[in-house]
Amino acid sequence: MMDALGFRNPVGLATLVKRELVRTYKVINQVIWPPIITTVLYVLVFGLGLGSRVQSVQGVPYAAFLIPGLIMLQVIDQTYGESSSSLFQGRFMASIQELLVAPLSAVEMVTGFIVAAIMRALLIAFLILGVGFLMVHTMPTNWPLYFLMTTLVATLFSAIGIIFGLFAEKFDHIAVFTTFVITPLVFVGGVFTSAQFLPPLVRQLSLFNPMFYMIDAFRFAFTGRSDVPLEVSIGIVIALTVVSVAVALRLTISGFKLRV
Amino acid sequence: MTPALRIRDLRKNYGDFVAVDGISLDVERGDFFGFLGPNGAGKTTTINAVVGLATPTSGSIEVFGYDNARSWRESRRLIGLSPQEYNFDRYLSIRDVLIYQAGYYGLRGAAVRAFADDLLERFGLASKAGDTFVKLSGGMKRRLSLARALIHRPDLLILDEPTAGVDVELRIELWTLLRELNAGGATIILTTHYLEEAESMCRNIAIIEGGKLLALEPTERLLARRGSTTLSVTVRNAVLDVPATLLGRGARYDAATRTMRFEGVDPAAIAPALAELVALGYEIENVDFKRSSLQDVFLDLVGHA
Repeated sequence: MMDALGFRNPVGLATLVKRELVRTYKVINQVIWPPIITTVLYVLVFGLGLGSRVQSVQGVPYAAFLIPGLIMLQVIDQTYGESSSSLFQGRFMASIQELLVAPLSAVEMVTGFIVAAIMRALLIAFLILGVGFLMVHTMPTNWPLYFLMTTLVATLFSAIGIIFGLFAEKFDHIAVFTTFVITPLVFVGGVFTSAQFLPPLVRQLSLFNPMFYMIDAFRFAFTGRSDVPLEVSIGIVIALTVVSVAVALRLTISGFKLRV
Repeated sequence: MTPALRIRDLRKNYGDFVAVDGISLDVERGDFFGFLGPNGAGKTTTINAVVGLATPTSGSIEVFGYDNARSWRESRRLIGLSPQEYNFDRYLSIRDVLIYQAGYYGLRGAAVRAFADDLLERFGLASKAGDTFVKLSGGMKRRLSLARALIHRPDLLILDEPTAGVDVELRIELWTLLRELNAGGATIILTTHYLEEAESMCRNIAIIEGGKLLALEPTERLLARRGSTTLSVTVRNAVLDVPATLLGRGARYDAATRTMRFEGVDPAAIAPALAELVALGYEIENVDFKRSSLQDVFLDLVGHA
């Protein structure tokens, strides 16, 4: 398929993005409200409750330290969950055939899923930010970095979502990545604590956790401080994003589990 | 003029299993083409290869001269598919199913919305425009599938079992609609298990079995060449002579019922034969003429495949 990488159907691409956002709206009780409520609970229990006994982390109150990590946690979880389940459901119900018979290239399809994921991620991040502002009066100080990291991480995890949405044979397979990879790595990746508070061995192990770099760079947008140099974190996240998008594209171009 | 669809040496393997085994056929513009075969014959695989849902192992497909591999965007724009299984988007209302489908084809705006409303009206779905497809009856789902296939105004309409599971009334309604679309210039390819449907609607027929073409010719010629005719004449008096016009037609006489049966009779020979029987002094009690249907031809072909 020589034109598989072409962008010649902008209306088709925009329609796919709109369709994905309509889907988000239809499952709003699964996609938008849970991250907000979870964040409020985390801030109340860990930030304002237990956190009141912690002096400060990276120069900010613990509750304010927590907000960027919680945003990343939800952005990662929701972008992966939405693109993987949308694609898998499309395959399972065969409704993905509506896209496959249309003059949409593989790159237009992948871009459609990713752009919708970025928009959804920015919305979720904005809502959690609102919670953070209302509860602990924290806001980013470096907005370009805030948008860059949200966009990169949303792109990375929606691409991973596409890959798992293609491989999965049942919904259970999609949950495997969330349960065994995303949740543990995010929780030990610095959502709740700075690496400087970790024992030396655990701190060394954190350097092999990609989530650590995402959260560390994103938190820099709020606190102006990071555990590792910013350019290292951004470089690692960009590299992971490029690889994930390339794999998602390769699979879609080949028609893997799409075109029988 | 390039045909609406040209398939050459199409082959599709799934591992060691050969689903389509070197099919070649042309469907001319404006044709009403029947694609028949038993379950698992390779019909849907062939259709999937044409519409882009399956990647051929080898061979070529052209839609109005556009190569499916090189000019896939153009060929897909020219095809409208109504698939065998329902595959509607559950998150959209049925009006949006049409509008979004048009969007995937690069179409949008007031004209698309108006055409979607026209189609919903024409297909008796206007009152359900805001519902999702799960609330539609079986017949309505079939009509929606057809409306969706038409929303981007394709020149080649491919209908995979469009009348499966619908009642007689709706089937007749769909036939009328398909005839109108065909009369309006659309080329239609139809797969069906209702052979009387193919016999009455299709001008050309392909029969496929085990991934191979068994027959590909005009419906009339297929029936004439492969089919048979039987003339049965029951008389009141005992038979002594067989009419000369019917001699050599494999005449059989059943004394118990006083019935003569002749195979392979040309319909044009019936009247002279009956006149000759009367002239020979026979008193005719009953005449029966049977022509084998597409179903007989189909069973004969598939049975011998």
